[in-house]
Amino acid sequence: MEDDRYSRQRLFAPIGDAGQAKLADSAVCIVGMGALGTVLASHMVRAGVGLVRLVDRDYVERSNLQRQMLYDEEDAAGGYPKAIAAERKLRRVNSEIRLEAIVADATSANVESLLEGMDLALDGTDNFQTRFLLNDACFRQGIPFVYGGAVSSRGMSAIFVPGVTPCLRCLISSGDSDGETCDTIGVIAPVVDIAASYQAVEALKYLVGDAEHRREALVSFDVWGNQHFEMKLGAPRKDCPCCQRKEYPALQAAPDEAISLCGRGTVQIAGSRPLDLERWRERLAPVAAGVKLNAYLLRAELPEGERLVLFPDGRVLVQGTDDFVRAKTLYARYIGS
Amino acid sequence: MELTINGITQQLEVRTVGDVIAHFGLEGKPVVVEADGEIVDRERWGEAELRQGMKLELVHFVGGG
Ligand SMILES: [Zn+2]
Repeated sequence: MEDDRYSRQRLFAPIGDAGQAKLADSAVCIVGMGALGTVLASHMVRAGVGLVRLVDRDYVERSNLQRQMLYDEEDAAGGYPKAIAAERKLRRVNSEIRLEAIVADATSANVESLLEGMDLALDGTDNFQTRFLLNDACFRQGIPFVYGGAVSSRGMSAIFVPGVTPCLRCLISSGDSDGETCDTIGVIAPVVDIAASYQAVEALKYLVGDAEHRREALVSFDVWGNQHFEMKLGAPRKDCPCCQRKEYPALQAAPDEAISLCGRGTVQIAGSRPLDLERWRERLAPVAAGVKLNAYLLRAELPEGERLVLFPDGRVLVQGTDDFVRAKTLYARYIGS
Repeated sequence: MELTINGITQQLEVRTVGDVIAHFGLEGKPVVVEADGEIVDRERWGEAELRQGMKLELVHFVGGG
């Protein structure tokens, strides 16, 4: 065999040579390059998916290293955006596929261009707001949305296929919420790997065209409590605003000016104009301590105790507060309105 | 009545799926309910009557990642 990179995968009959060729011809978008996203990306890249697009709004911190398997201490020390750090690592894993790193927050303004030309979207997000956005955008574009979630020792996954299965909105309401995030009740790495691997295998089945083996259930498990349950997805809800009424509510809403990155002590301000980071370094250096610039973002420790993180796309993270008013005040003080 | 909820058989003073949701304090939470193998449309929770011996599964959606 002239190239044995994929030999074990080709030997697996449901994929074979034909499936391998389909994977090479496929494009997937992974939104969120945290714990789930890094496992998803590793699987897609190693499997030989032709184009893997990595989208993330955040940068690598030490508290990520316990479970976000593509990052190392150097990435955290350098404060590199996750999408960039992941791309760099994955290029060394497989140089024969295309990788696209996009440092951005997925919003109603950009989600459709992020999914343009993609065969499916993989959920690496850590919040329901972005999941509903992806769900709606995928169903409008007619591509599957592969949901995954992990918190504590519990994980979950399902593939939602337009025209075939219900969607996320058929099952839960966008008004539902609870305070359970990895940043409030923690998470162990093994459950993340399992949830993401369930997502990855459904993506592979879909990409090679094996509809017959699609898992028709929402799978959920507690790996510490030794529980495993599969719930049949059944039929779509008759009046679902996404897959039935085709209103796609999340795409109609304007992007939020400010959002709280839940449990992270971080408020993200969307900003209205691009930021020239070199210029902002000069401006902030006299008023803030420890102003650090890398090729992708600028960090500044404010005398008030918070930290600002500026991105070229105009976004600013205010770290050290969950209070919108305080975050907006600091933004106005240092960046302007 | 006697119900089996997530594998545990128990006695609850409830009439509808909505009562079970309230009993466990799950109103407004991202939860899906399956009763005897069928998902119960969340808009029907309040009127979906339970019967003695029914098997319920309450699946709490996981938001982290
Ligand atoms: Zn739906």
